[in-house]
Amino acid sequence: MGEYIIKRTLQMTVVFFLFLVFSYLLFNAIPGNAFSNLLLNPDLPPDAYNRVLELYGLDKPLFERLQLYIVNFFKGDFGYSYKSFPKTPIELISERLPRTLMLFAIVNIVSFYTGFFIGKILAWRRGSQSETWITLTSVFSYTVFYPWFALMMLWVFGYKLGWLPIGKFLYPEKWYDAPFDSDIVFSSMIKFTIVVSLIQFAAYLATRGIESLSSRRNLRFASLIAIFIGSYFYWNNGAALIKKPYAADIAYHMILPVMVVTIVAFAGTALLTRTTMMEVLKEDYILTARAKGISQKRIRDRHAARTALLPVVTSFIFTIVTIIDGSVLTEQIFSWPGMGQLLLQSVLEEDIPVAMACFSFVGVFALVAHLLADISYSYLDPRIRIKSQG
Amino acid sequence: MSKEVLSVKNLNMHYETLSGDVHAVKDVSFSVKEGESFGLVGESGCGKTSVAMSLLQLQADNAKISSGSIQLDGVELVGMNESELRKVRWDGISIVFQGAMNAWNPVVKVGEQIREAIREHYPEKSKAENTEKIESLFKMVGLDAAVIDRFPHELSGGMKQRAIIALALSCDPKVVIADEPTTALDVVIQDQILNEIKKVQQLLGLSLIYISHDIAVIAEMTDQMAVMYAGSIVEIGPTEKVFSTPKHAYTRLLLESTPSVVGEKKKLRSLDGEPPSLINEIIGCSFSPRCPDPSSDCENPIKEMGLVEIEPGHFADNCCVDCG
Ligand SMILES: Nc1ncnc2c1ncn2[C@@H]1O[C@H](COP(=O)(O)OP(=O)(O)OP(=O)(O)O)[C@@H](O)[C@H]1O
Ligand code: SF4
Ligand SMILES: [Mg+2]
Repeated sequence: MGEYIIKRTLQMTVVFFLFLVFSYLLFNAIPGNAFSNLLLNPDLPPDAYNRVLELYGLDKPLFERLQLYIVNFFKGDFGYSYKSFPKTPIELISERLPRTLMLFAIVNIVSFYTGFFIGKILAWRRGSQSETWITLTSVFSYTVFYPWFALMMLWVFGYKLGWLPIGKFLYPEKWYDAPFDSDIVFSSMIKFTIVVSLIQFAAYLATRGIESLSSRRNLRFASLIAIFIGSYFYWNNGAALIKKPYAADIAYHMILPVMVVTIVAFAGTALLTRTTMMEVLKEDYILTARAKGISQKRIRDRHAARTALLPVVTSFIFTIVTIIDGSVLTEQIFSWPGMGQLLLQSVLEEDIPVAMACFSFVGVFALVAHLLADISYSYLDPRIRIKSQG
Repeated sequence: MSKEVLSVKNLNMHYETLSGDVHAVKDVSFSVKEGESFGLVGESGCGKTSVAMSLLQLQADNAKISSGSIQLDGVELVGMNESELRKVRWDGISIVFQGAMNAWNPVVKVGEQIREAIREHYPEKSKAENTEKIESLFKMVGLDAAVIDRFPHELSGGMKQRAIIALALSCDPKVVIADEPTTALDVVIQDQILNEIKKVQQLLGLSLIYISHDIAVIAEMTDQMAVMYAGSIVEIGPTEKVFSTPKHAYTRLLLESTPSVVGEKKKLRSLDGEPPSLINEIIGCSFSPRCPDPSSDCENPIKEMGLVEIEPGHFADNCCVDCG
């Protein structure tokens, strides 16, 4: 296993290097540069443009720039943003990234669970009328033209009904006299979410070994209630109490994007789960489980769904990889100031250092996600053993 | 005399299909006594698995039991609801499926799959008790205790089958059904598994229903046997008697088409033709189209089909009794 990971990491480094070179060349193939518009200003002296180019090193030949960029990149120096000069790409990304990750982490978890759950039920109730209707709905949301659908939802919930805000991350007027920055509130929301998930996961692990099924279930339920009570106390005491209204404002702004993306994203998982489940239900070991006297629900959830999970997880990991590039559209529609907007903006403005940093991040993310996918398979399906050679 | 554990009376079961009802089990009656090994023999498609599945009430969705009764220790199984049936399954009747190679869930450890069955029926048992039980079962069927922590794909075919036998015994069932448990194995392993089953059956005094298309295996494994043809039992009785004085022409042909069942060398006779379709109603003797020497009234539709006793405990189809 260790050997496998090292080998894969080396391969990934080579791929990443090529990725960097090609991206850099492609950005430079765009006509003009970030400062071309200076030439259009008649008030500037003609040598101003050349001075600016010199300042940013854009007067050097392409190959030399590329070489410099790559060397500096691996030293951890990504340069400065052309457009928001004193800021570095890292600063810009670290401000935007949490917003995107939070939004899409929630969307992915919610849509994976609902999709998997619905798919499971569909396969189980094969042939019933509810199956037909849910399948039709899923196919609709799977094939719908996403920007149109998102705008329709905005129109209905934001404008017609007025229940939810039309885009943006927060209501600026509420924050005029806020004692802190929105990023501070947001990062404590993220911490809270992470801690809650970890506690839940720990409770799941701790109860795994219990032989009696009913006490296992009860303990897990108790831990869930404990988490609820704990969160209630957390948000109503001390520092968190002051942040509460602001956190609520951000959460309120998250509802619509989460809902819309979930509706579009769950369907793929649901339809795939349905197909694989129906295959698995024909297997002999399902009959064995029935002969053993195991309850239908347990057969469905433990025997059928467990094996059906594999291809679903595969496709799920591929969706995760597309979070950042997928976020371009969503963030544009909902005016969500995240990575997607940063990426789009930097490309349009030819702010190459920022665009390159964004793209490198997407690249690293994709490569690491694939590696993690391969490793997690060997846990999900013991038949797949990662061989260190070959 | 030991008491009857399982008694099946006039069981009729059919599959509803687009081309008509397939009558896979027709008026089948038999009983199994405590500690007895009962054999069910017949060629492929005669309805052996259908009988086994009816006993567990695990028949396919399109299967209907139209009449008859199945009693386990005096408790009627036909018409039981799902939750009552769940209690009977494995604890009352367990089964080693035909082609049991795929009977293991590939992503769950073997030990855990056995544990799951015990946990379902004896939730009060502790983890240590269950482990101990599984280890002793593994020892009995000749498996290493380490197999508990193995995944199914890590075991050879023979080991999987041994583990399946351990699984079938895990809840101390009243009756164990073995539906062609050795089909997918090579000859040497087949023999080992047969010996294993026989040993376990005698050791534990199991009530066993052994299903096979191979009459030689039935001879070796069973005390009582029934011969099935086209969904009906055509001859039933103590295995010895059926072998020494077969009454039905089909039984005789089965015996003659199997090499070296009972010592003396005979010229093998082959069984030509196909069994009849189970969709159409069969009038008279169902075997008559393939029968080597039918008598004139064999196809007589007026004659009622049914088993008659020819010697104590040994029954055969009445038509054939007259002919032979
Ligand atoms: N679900 C089903 N729907 C329709 N017909 C079926 C179904 N299952 C079995 N049959 C038919 O019922 C008949 C009896 O099948 P069964 O599996 O009981 O035979 P078998 O004696 O076990 O044969 P084998 O030795 O091949 O296992 C066959 O003709 C088969 O085609
Ligand atoms: S009843 Fe007649 S036709 Fe049928 S098997 Fe016996 S001898 Fe043959
Ligand atoms: Mg069969």
